[in-house]
Amino acid sequence: MLTTKLSAAVAVSSSSSTLFLNPQNRFNFSKRIPSVANPSLCNSLRPIVEWSLSKRKMDASASLRAVSPRASAEQLKDPDQLIDSVETFIFDCDGVIWKGDKLIDGVPETLDMLRSKGKRLVFVTNNSTKSRKQYGKKFETLGLSVSEEEIFASSFAAAAYLKSIDFPKDKKVYVVGEDGILKELELAGIQYLGGPEDGEKKIELKPGFMMEHDENVGAVVVGFDRYFNYYKIQYATLCIRENPGCLFIATNRDAVTHLTDAQEWAGGGSMVGAVRGSTQREPLVVGKPSTFMMDYLANKFGISKSQICMVGDRLDTDILFGQNGGCKTLLVLSGVTSLSMLQNPDNTIQPDFYTNKISDFLSLKTAAV
Amino acid sequence: MDGGITNLTTEERTNCQRLTPLTTANLLDSVDAFLFDCDGVIWKGDALIDGVSDTLDTLRALGKKLVFVTNNSTKSRRQYAKKFHSVGISVSEDEIFSSSFAAAMYLKVIDFPKEKKVYVIGEEGIGEELQLAGFTSLGGPEDGKKTVQLRPNYLFEHDKSVGAVVVGLDQYINYYKLQYATLCIRENPGCLFIATNRDAVGHLTDLQEWPGAGCMVAAVCGSTQKEPIVVGKPSTFLMEFLLKKFNIPTSRMCMVGDRLDTDILFGQNAGCRTLLVLSGVTDISDLQDSKNHIRPEYFADKVSDIIRFIQ
Repeated sequence: MLTTKLSAAVAVSSSSSTLFLNPQNRFNFSKRIPSVANPSLCNSLRPIVEWSLSKRKMDASASLRAVSPRASAEQLKDPDQLIDSVETFIFDCDGVIWKGDKLIDGVPETLDMLRSKGKRLVFVTNNSTKSRKQYGKKFETLGLSVSEEEIFASSFAAAAYLKSIDFPKDKKVYVVGEDGILKELELAGIQYLGGPEDGEKKIELKPGFMMEHDENVGAVVVGFDRYFNYYKIQYATLCIRENPGCLFIATNRDAVTHLTDAQEWAGGGSMVGAVRGSTQREPLVVGKPSTFMMDYLANKFGISKSQICMVGDRLDTDILFGQNGGCKTLLVLSGVTSLSMLQNPDNTIQPDFYTNKISDFLSLKTAAV
Repeated sequence: MDGGITNLTTEERTNCQRLTPLTTANLLDSVDAFLFDCDGVIWKGDALIDGVSDTLDTLRALGKKLVFVTNNSTKSRRQYAKKFHSVGISVSEDEIFSSSFAAAMYLKVIDFPKEKKVYVIGEEGIGEELQLAGFTSLGGPEDGKKTVQLRPNYLFEHDKSVGAVVVGLDQYINYYKLQYATLCIRENPGCLFIATNRDAVGHLTDLQEWPGAGCMVAAVCGSTQKEPIVVGKPSTFLMEFLLKKFNIPTSRMCMVGDRLDTDILFGQNAGCRTLLVLSGVTDISDLQDSKNHIRPEYFADKVSDIIRFIQ
């Protein structure tokens, strides 16, 4: 029986985000409406989801607002000081360690140096397409020695979350997502439906046609899905709307992601958006910036959060994750965020430090000597 | 009643009363044009709802103007006229105001440059209306067959001359289209993001509800972190065209629909009378739910209740 009351299932009225053309002057179209998209509509760096859980051992109850305005980020000048002040480094992967399948310059040496100084290294990625084991293999092929236990992907987070709330063994999970999620659910002993093979399924909107869905689905997990289609959206929608108490869990809500090194790709935020759009419910987010994974690993390794430095390339996931968790934060400019984005007056998320890439830990040291 | 304007108080406009013989007679006297939503009001999927035909005939015989305002962008006005014809109702194209038409009209109204293109996440209706209005569109149903390759050295290209992305209901939605739309909106300077509507679900078949345009639009919001310009209900954009057509004050129009956050809100925002019918997505418990803040002037089981009490 699902005992945890999850208060994040808030009904969202679609009209709240509808724009009214010329609200003051509704019927006056003799005035031309500007053909340029209104820049004030762009809210690219606004923290997205509020999620509150009742208190449990794996307390993931951080709400996701930006902390009160702080001083601007400092450019990293003395890496030693930062390194000496913490015991653990948490690294995001895409845009920090690698870009697509290419290792970013200087990464192996930097990780080696940190390990030689006795620092614990942890890798937290919102990318749910692979399981921890599959990520372990990716690290290996890139020549980095990282063990599975040091990797926390949002695919793992979804399974770990369901375990933490004692998700009943007789219930199933419907997955709008890729292999990574399926593998982690399997490892956790949770039954699932959906995933990539539902990408082949078609529907026919004709009289008398009824789409059935499994009434035992107790949770829908949504993450990045390149095999995304209408069948899956409808299946997920039916489960969430019609199965009493069905959870709506998102691995992450990243808008875009560097799936290849050449460009950005629509991310999990898109698939999650689709299911929000049809169910008018907010999901429980297990990936960054939710602190679920931070709480999990702090608990697992017995680390105190003030002893952690979060290193990432994305303000509204990585840096917010670090801040929500009470850690130090370092933004690297080797991924999706540029210096001008960081310094844009519309940006409210300021990390403690910023630098070009993690190998600056080595090159800045050399320069300082 | 003498055809003058009925000035209702806000309280009266949101009374949420079931139609009675007296209120129906009152309504028929004080309204010159009835605006009908289609899905859940006129039909469900392809099945005509009971009594609709008689109701429309009776209203026409009483000299009322009839207009159909639908958020369903899958068909053009011309295709809708055909659908009406196939269920035995004669309606002319210019009595139909679909959100597909609204998208094309919006681009016209803002003088969208003819040398720019429009990328469409949606079905045939949008493409057809855009073409009729003289615009060039890309995407639409045929992009439903395209896939992406996520491998090194593969670059997903997009047309830099796309100046607007229009998103509506699309049962052929896929990652290719999401990515294409995302790149246009994020990378083409000034590219507009237009939504035909944001309905969460709708009765696309007679037996159950299906995800609506709200789903596709939210997917694009999720990857672009931008809000769209909405041209369909509850936006009152289409009302401009209705006013031009009829020269009837909005207070003498009655919006009849099955959805509170689109149909009824549209009617109220435009200053019309409003009638909610329970033959579609909204049932009585939704209406009475304390979380619901949208209350129509009247409600009834279905459209044919309008003529039920006529002697």
